[in-house]
Amino acid sequence: MNFFGLTLGILTLLIIGLGFVWVIRGERYFGYLWWPYVMGFGEVLIVISLFISSIWTSALLGILGASLIWGSTELKEQAVRAEIGWYPFNDKKILPPLAKIIEKWKAPHL
Amino acid sequence: MLNPVGLVAALATFFGIWFGHVAVRKIEFDSPSLWLPTAVFATVGLALEWFSLVTSNLLLSTALGIIGITLLWDALEFTRQQNRIKKGHSPANPNNPRHARLMHEHGAVTNLDLLKRDPIGKPVSTAEAIKLITEP
Repeated sequence: MNFFGLTLGILTLLIIGLGFVWVIRGERYFGYLWWPYVMGFGEVLIVISLFISSIWTSALLGILGASLIWGSTELKEQAVRAEIGWYPFNDKKILPPLAKIIEKWKAPHL
Repeated sequence: MLNPVGLVAALATFFGIWFGHVAVRKIEFDSPSLWLPTAVFATVGLALEWFSLVTSNLLLSTALGIIGITLLWDALEFTRQQNRIKKGHSPANPNNPRHARLMHEHGAVTNLDLLKRDPIGKPVSTAEAIKLITEP
């Protein structure tokens, strides 16, 4: 029996669960325009995982990276949910560097 | 030598979430029954976990383990998606008899997708939220 995949699967569920929390909180306090930075950070984690020899650390970095990339594509929709009032709306957001430029980009949504 | 485990885990996670996200919404929208897709996803999820346990291939065990658990979660998401429909947080399908019944029983059910727009940076009333997606 090889429990590596099953254990990773359960850890993936926990990491995705954390994704719900940071997407909601992150959008509330920082706003959805942070999405390119979150996406870039996730990609960096996946690249780093290639250079880690421990299979557990490498796998968990990959899962964390993928979950960050997915979450970055959820931020825009979460911003709309807060505007509609399904989640608390905060108008004093800490905007990212280059927010004016990012605003002109089409935020990804899958 | 590059270690491919992290990349395989990342691809399984990303495409597992993406597939589940799209498939649960689409199937819940069209299917008159909720238990059938729930049972199918749970069965396939369990089967993948079984293969993940018995294979000696590390990369296969990684991918199947992650995708299998994701499918098991998706099985639960069919019910959670129906709850979003009841609250009007996701669009209902009037041609689906199960949704038609929900429309009759719950006042909040709507066939509008209030999330299908870009953020405007300020809170909106329900009337404004509808206007933003219906008026070009």
